[in-house]
Formats: sequence, C-alpha cells, structure tokens
Amino acid sequence: MTLRGFIRDRIVGYVIKIMALAMIFVFMTAFKAHVQAIAAVTIVLVLADISFEIWEYCRKKNFYNRVKRSLDDIDKKYLISEMVEHPGFYEGDILVEILSESNKSMAENVAKYRRKSKEFREYIEMWVHEAKLPLATMRLMCHNNSDIENKMAVQLGRIDDYIENVLYYARSENAERDYVIKEVSLKKTFGNVAVKNRETLQMIDAVIETDGLDISVMTDGKWLEFILGQLMANSIKYYSPERQLIISVRAEKTDDRITVYFRDNGIGIDEADIPKVFEKSFTGQNGRKDLKSTGMGLYIVKNLCDRLEHGISIESVKDEYTEVKLVFKKNDFYRM
Amino acid sequence: MNKILIVEDDRLLCKELADLLEGSGYAVERIRDFSDACAEMVASDADLILLDISLPGENGEVLLQKYRKTKDTPVIMLTSRTGELDQVLSMSYGADDYVTKPYNPTILLLRISAILKRTSKTVQKQMYKDIEVSLVKGSLVRGNEEQVLTKNEMIIFGVLFDHQGEIVSRDELMTALWDSDEYINDNALSVNISRLRNKLSELGVPDAIETRKKQGYLLRGI
Repeated sequence: MTLRGFIRDRIVGYVIKIMALAMIFVFMTAFKAHVQAIAAVTIVLVLADISFEIWEYCRKKNFYNRVKRSLDDIDKKYLISEMVEHPGFYEGDILVEILSESNKSMAENVAKYRRKSKEFREYIEMWVHEAKLPLATMRLMCHNNSDIENKMAVQLGRIDDYIENVLYYARSENAERDYVIKEVSLKKTFGNVAVKNRETLQMIDAVIETDGLDISVMTDGKWLEFILGQLMANSIKYYSPERQLIISVRAEKTDDRITVYFRDNGIGIDEADIPKVFEKSFTGQNGRKDLKSTGMGLYIVKNLCDRLEHGISIESVKDEYTEVKLVFKKNDFYRM
Repeated sequence: MNKILIVEDDRLLCKELADLLEGSGYAVERIRDFSDACAEMVASDADLILLDISLPGENGEVLLQKYRKTKDTPVIMLTSRTGELDQVLSMSYGADDYVTKPYNPTILLLRISAILKRTSKTVQKQMYKDIEVSLVKGSLVRGNEEQVLTKNEMIIFGVLFDHQGEIVSRDELMTALWDSDEYINDNALSVNISRLRNKLSELGVPDAIETRKKQGYLLRGI
C-alpha cells in the first residue's frame, strides 16, 4: 500500500472537506464571527482530519502490507486465507471472510477432483488386472497350439506393453506413494526385460552386451523393469536398418552413486529435439517418421524417475547412438 | 512323475495351464470348489502348487499364510497384479517364486522344474547312459574322461537332458539361455550345439543329439 494510492483513493473526500471548510468560513464571516474564532475552528478541524487520515493510513497499510508480505513468502498462494491475521477494521474483516469462503469452496472442489482421479486410477489398476487374464490365457493357447505361437505371441506381447503403459501412466501421475524401495538386482531386472523382448530382438538379429550388472540398486523393482522396458522398446523402435543393432547396458559404481548407461547404435536423436524428449506428447523428428510414436514413453519414464528420485539424462548423436544415463544415489537411510 | 496342483478360478486359463503342464509331463490336479480351498490344498499330495492371488473368497495370500502353517510344499504365486508390494508380501508369506501374468509359458516351465529340482528330497546322481552329469561342476564324466562344459553348453544340455526323448525347440533353448542372462543369438546357439556335440562324441556318444528339421533338437533316450 502506497501513500500515493491511498491519497488518490480518498481525493473526493478531501475535496468535499475543503469545500465544507470554505462554506464554514463563508458562513462564519456572514455571521460576523471573530477572525480568531474562525482561525481556531479551521485549525481544529484541519488537525482533526489530518490525524484521522494518518491513523487510517497506518492501520490499513499495516494490514495490507502484512498480507502482501505473507503472500510473497508462500509458494502455494491459495493458502493465503490461512495466513492473514485479524485485520481490526471492518473492510478488512469482509476481505478475510471472502478469502476464507472462497478457499473453502476451492478446497472442496480440489477434493472432489482428487477423489475422482483416485477412483479413476483404481479403476485403471483393476482393469489392467482384468485385461491380463485373457492375455495370459491366449499366451498359453498359443503355446499349446505351437503352429501359430510365434507370430501371435509377439502381438500379444505388444498388447501387454500397451496395457503396462496405461498402468504406469496412471501410477506416475498419482501423488500417492505406492512404490516399495528395496535392494533390486540389476542383472535380474534387466534379464526380465531382455527375455520379454527376446522374440523381437532375435527377429532383427540384435546383439545385447552387458557389463557390471552384478550389483543391486535401491529402487522399486517393478518400476525399474518398466523403465528399462521402455528404453529397450525405444532402441528396438528406432534402430538403424543400415547396421546390426547393438544394445549395451553398463553399470558403474562410485562412492555415492551407481550409474547405469543404456546405449544403442540406432538412428539417434536430432540435437534440437534432445532437450524436449521428456516432455509429454513430444514426438520430434523421429516421431514424425514413425507414426506409432505417442511421445508418452519417455515422459512416463521421467515421471517415474523423478518420483523415485533417480536421475535420468539422455545423450545422442544423430545416426550414431543414443545413450540414456540413469543415476541411483546410494542412500544408506534405505538400508536400515 | 511330479504332480502339480493348480489353484486358479478362471476356468479357461486353468484348462490351458493344465494342457501346458500335462504336455510337459506333469500330472495335474485342480481345485474346483473354492469354498474351502485351503483344506483341499492341504489334502492334496501334489509336489508343487500354482496359486493365483485373486480368488473368490479368500485371496491367495491369505490361503498361502494358512497353508504354510501345516505344509511346506513349494508354491509359485501367479498373479496379474504388478506391484512390488504384492511380490514382497507373497515372498514373506512363504512363496517360492512369483510369476506375473501374462507369463511366458517356457519360462513358467523352467521355474517349475528349477523349484522341483531344488526341493526333490533324494539328490540322486544324474546319469545319461554311462555318463555322469554334474550340473554343479558343469561337467560330464565318463570313467576317467571328463569334459568341462561352458555355462551355455551346460544350460543347453540341462534342458535337453530334462526332456530326454522329446523334441526341444530352438525357441525353448533360447528362452532358457536368455533366462540365465546369456543373451546369445541364433548363430551362437548353433555353434554351442555343435561344440556340445563334439564334447559328447569325445565321450563316446557321437550321435546323442539329433536334429529335427524345423522342429528342434532331441537328446536320445537311454
């Protein structure tokens, strides 16, 4: 609150008061009042007005400045109604009342949507489990009728991947903590991913190299499997037909962290696209060539990594390689 | 012959599972009435139990907890739930393995045979004809002659040995290899098999492994 703004706001009042003073002066002169009396009355009135204005300015400035300061201090601005102190004047009371009413209504609204999104998520989880049942049955049917096994199994694998995507998207968007951090073997987790993709990898005659995976990291095993699965799917999707696909996975241990490098020699990513690959629905140049891109895979991966507090970054040279780096901090707290 | 009890309420899935297991030489028993599944599980003389988590009435985790109070037959949990927590819980209740749907059938069979091998009470010496098979040492011994196999060769021989007299497809061999973190390709498999053949012929059984065109390989029975 500035003095200038305060005065500008009350300028009409001042004009009326000055006119009133002028009229008092005219009347008193007409009634032949003594000059000293006129002066005394004028001084008293002017002093009274000025001190009233100063008091008014001070208490309002005090209140509004405090409100503004707390508004600047908090990052969740909608909580301001919890922060204002008792104003001690009428207009302030009205403001506080309005703020708290509106806050209450907003809280109800947010709670409604939170409940809805939670219900939706629960439904998705349930649906995924339901959908996996016929998928499992079909997988077995394929195996038991071996003449259609391979081709069908690959397609079923794709459906399974898409279903997983939905599940992890729902999980990654949700604020609840529904993961379990424990020691997870990198070798076993990557093994699961490799076996899952074996048919496709063999169809394009890819080579898999691993190095130093005989260590454990602190993470949620299922989430990590999904993350590595997505990276693998990308390597398969964007391999270069000009050379044999080599996927190399390497882990490096230092004092305070374990870094996993997931590298392929595929078509790479355009330099301009790299900063945006983790954005939602970003497909970039590679995506425009391949219409199957949805731009969701890496977005979900990044989200999951953020929630597990793993670092993730990507490095690539077009037509040469793509390398994704996952960083697991060694946290002794988890080991307790 | 080992007997496997399937505790799964989805009829069709249960039937396909039974077909798969019977096709691989196991005897299969099913539970049809889930009103007192635990009692039926206890009453069964199966060597291994495949237990679904989402069942009518009591769920699989509760069943497992109850069952473990009386018997310690190995149990593999089958589930479509994909949370880490479910797995941790199941293992803590005493499950021997945990497989999520939709499972790769070959891998499921590998897991089953691995657990059965681990828990079979009599560890008899494994013999192929007059060759002693040492899976632990990774070698084949005949009299004074010993042939040391590489990890890959041992895995291949192990699978063929378990299915003596049956055709094993290249795909099954590949799955077994990849499941043991050996990510080899088609050519490497052929190379490994021919090396294994050489080693077997050094031991005096040159034609033990037969090639069946477009079907796979077969280790001649005794």
